[in-house]
Amino acid sequence: MKSREVRPPHVAAWLVDLFAPADHAESLLGDLSEEFSDLALKSGPSFARRWYWRQSVKTVTHLVGTAFRVSPWTTIGPVVAGYVLLGFGFSLPERAIVMVLHLRHQHVNPYYTSSQIEAYLFWLNNGILVGRLLMSLSIGSIVAVAAKGREIIATMALSLLLVAPFLVLRLAGHWPNQPFLPSTLIFAIGNSLMIVVGGDIVRKNRSAALHRPSSA
Amino acid sequence: MTSRDYLGEFEHIVVLALLRLGDRAYGVTVRQEIEMRTGREVSIGAIYATLDRLEAKGYVKSRMGDPTPERGGRSKRFFQVSAKGVGAVNRTHRALQSMTAGLDLVRSYS
Repeated sequence: MKSREVRPPHVAAWLVDLFAPADHAESLLGDLSEEFSDLALKSGPSFARRWYWRQSVKTVTHLVGTAFRVSPWTTIGPVVAGYVLLGFGFSLPERAIVMVLHLRHQHVNPYYTSSQIEAYLFWLNNGILVGRLLMSLSIGSIVAVAAKGREIIATMALSLLLVAPFLVLRLAGHWPNQPFLPSTLIFAIGNSLMIVVGGDIVRKNRSAALHRPSSA
Repeated sequence: MTSRDYLGEFEHIVVLALLRLGDRAYGVTVRQEIEMRTGREVSIGAIYATLDRLEAKGYVKSRMGDPTPERGGRSKRFFQVSAKGVGAVNRTHRALQSMTAGLDLVRSYS
């Protein structure tokens, strides 16, 4: 009775769910869960938890390796396309926001009050930040759609590609008078996270679509 | 006949496990069967990646079972070797037998 209350480690299960292809995630997690319950009964919860973590790490490593080894172009192709899209798309929010702000304030130009200047700067800074985050989310979704079944692997690879140059520059001693995570790096990490969130949204939609016909 | 008609080493082991297990073949039983017979610890991810590849080649078929409470309400995916898969196992097996015929492996190379 007691062993029934023992549950697999949430983080490990979440990682497997994140990386497993949508059509295999349910059965794969079910198999891990079934063996975990058996082991918890036979050898105790801590042994079962250690086993679950070992299996999860091996499984995720294998799934990532297989994605690049077995069908490299369906994984690498969308990542490269996403990187190119990021290059073209990153200046779009900035240009759009500057254009809208200039149109809006044209009637008061050139006599800005200090509150108008503050508002202008607020919308300029935050608008561009939000715009770029939304752009990263959209590009993450596009990459995930193209990387059928490997949404998280492709979007994670793209986000690493985006953040890696900043990390390398930081470790090489750039931005010496700034905190360990300067705003440029925080900004890159934020955009990287949004790319992966975009991938996760597509993965969840795909998984829901797969389960709809079987439940009918 | 092309090299694709043969099974890779781990594919061969997985297909043989499916044949041994018959209609009881799903992730857990396949993993345990391989571990028990080969003494090699394999991850469930490796089993699924291989089965996915074999299914894409038409060597294996799968169907979903009913959800069960001990699996957290998740379904089992049962696997079965197709006629094409049986042909591939036989070809691979014959090729290995032909390559090892006449070799006294234990005496010569141990």
